[in-house]
Amino acid sequence: MKKPIVWPITRREIGGKGHSSPIMLKVSAFILGTLFIIALFQPFFYRVDPAALDLSLRLQSPSLSGAWLGTDALGQDVYSRVIAGFRWSLGIGTIGTLIGGLIGISLGVSAAWNRKRLRTFLSRVIDIGISFPYLIIAVTIVTVVGRGFWSLALTLGLVSWPTIARVVYAETLTLREREYVTAARLFGIGSLRSIFSHILPALRPTIQVVAAFTFAELLIAESGLSFLGLGAPLGTPTWGNMLNESRTYMASAPWMMFGPVIAIIVTIFAANLLGEGLNARERSRSGRVS
Amino acid sequence: MKQRLKAVGSRLLQLVVLLGTISTTLFLLLRLSGDPAILLAGEGASPETINAIRADYGFDKSLFEQYLIFIWDVVRLDFGRSLVNSQPALGFVLKYLPSTLHLTFLAILFNSLIAIPAGVWLGAKPTQRRRRVLSAIVSVAQGTPAYVIGLLLIQIFSVWFNWLPSIAGTGTWSWVLPTATLSFALAPNLIRVVAASIEDTTRQDYFRTAKANGAEPRVLLIRHSLPNALLSTTSLLGAQFAFLLSGALITEYIFAWPGLGLILVQSITNLDFPTIQATVFVVAYLVFFVNLIMDQVFRIADPRLRRSQL
Repeated sequence: MKKPIVWPITRREIGGKGHSSPIMLKVSAFILGTLFIIALFQPFFYRVDPAALDLSLRLQSPSLSGAWLGTDALGQDVYSRVIAGFRWSLGIGTIGTLIGGLIGISLGVSAAWNRKRLRTFLSRVIDIGISFPYLIIAVTIVTVVGRGFWSLALTLGLVSWPTIARVVYAETLTLREREYVTAARLFGIGSLRSIFSHILPALRPTIQVVAAFTFAELLIAESGLSFLGLGAPLGTPTWGNMLNESRTYMASAPWMMFGPVIAIIVTIFAANLLGEGLNARERSRSGRVS
Repeated sequence: MKQRLKAVGSRLLQLVVLLGTISTTLFLLLRLSGDPAILLAGEGASPETINAIRADYGFDKSLFEQYLIFIWDVVRLDFGRSLVNSQPALGFVLKYLPSTLHLTFLAILFNSLIAIPAGVWLGAKPTQRRRRVLSAIVSVAQGTPAYVIGLLLIQIFSVWFNWLPSIAGTGTWSWVLPTATLSFALAPNLIRVVAASIEDTTRQDYFRTAKANGAEPRVLLIRHSLPNALLSTTSLLGAQFAFLLSGALITEYIFAWPGLGLILVQSITNLDFPTIQATVFVVAYLVFFVNLIMDQVFRIADPRLRRSQL
């Protein structure tokens, strides 16, 4: 059967990046799904208790019969600790993205919807937020507030909103000029109702894309903070902590590093791929070139 | 000229608001985190010492009074003395600034040297098969955090092959790994943006006209695509520069590079609040100047912007 004539154009637009969107989406959804299942049901995946110390087993190299990814300086199983790290990282990433998304979407939409001073004010706030490197603020806040799962998740959420707000702001600005939004206003439909029934649903694809990228970025920020010894409490099995501990043993036990490195790369790759896939799907649907 | 002044003024206002927010946040955080006098005196200090510190720093005054004094100090750029080595915090931080700038410039330089040619090559004919391979590599590499790259580079080049030093301050060779780490961390993003902008110019009307007039591919690329593509790339480079001033935090820590990032990590570990504050302020100022310079670069490079608002 012959394809309609529009097809080659859209395919070049998406295929030009070397991927086609359904595959990217499927692969990333599969990887992320697996990782979230691991995070939720982690006890089933442990080889041994990740907190169990056994100094007689310290710094063992990876082996199929013993520790699959080796053991660390305290004789803890690297594989089980990497698995334990999933709940911490994915949890903080998810909660941080939700908080950042909530703040970013509210600020972005209200900045774009309002035509008066509020818009000038909010878009300035967003500009300032974007221009300043947020990691520094996050580091400082975490130091004072204290380390731990919730303080990290909240802090990262609180500093991650500017990017989301800017994207949402730009998209809402174009959406509010659409005919159906104007028509709704002429019919006397109030702002709030219009935002919830016309703007937010239309924003969904954009939000999905930016949320996937924010999630990846928060994962990097979180494990970076832990790596500096400023994030997770010392001794907690998180990837950043494990990398930090591995630095002392790079010559004698490089495997301490490889487990968490693989976990970080795979997770971030999957999250970025999800963002790319969603973006490509959205572009192919609207036929728009960005 | 008037517009230019207006643009500078608006940036300046941004800086003031930013610094005000940061200092207020820091002030509140420090006061909320418990009695700062006890924090400053350290563990096991006698009550007399704590009282002396309280009077010395003015912690016995009301919170509002303290805040006013604090803001006045900030305005005069007096951040107090470091709690660790009792040097004036700002001077102490500024001593480490050249080192960070050095690393930042190296990283930006090599990042551009790798990424711009790669991006141009990729963007010129994005559908060619071998270019797709590069684009696939780039999308995997994108988002790999700098500390992962740094650790792997150390593992390979310092531990296994013992070719390059992993600690800063041991001569020119010790610059290689930190520069490579930051360049590799930044390059994928830049490659993508350059490629996308080059690709974008090929869809513009003026490009099609030039092509229809029979311009050679090389001329098309260099004279018609590149200038416009690099313009949009410049803004990313500016953002990366601003990011490096603070984002080199982790890389500086890995390689013990004596810069702002290392100072920040150390002062945070020691709860040395005057130094933390001075570092954050220095970074904010630098980001402000980078943004200001980028604004001007755009104005000079793009004639269209000179006529438009701001």
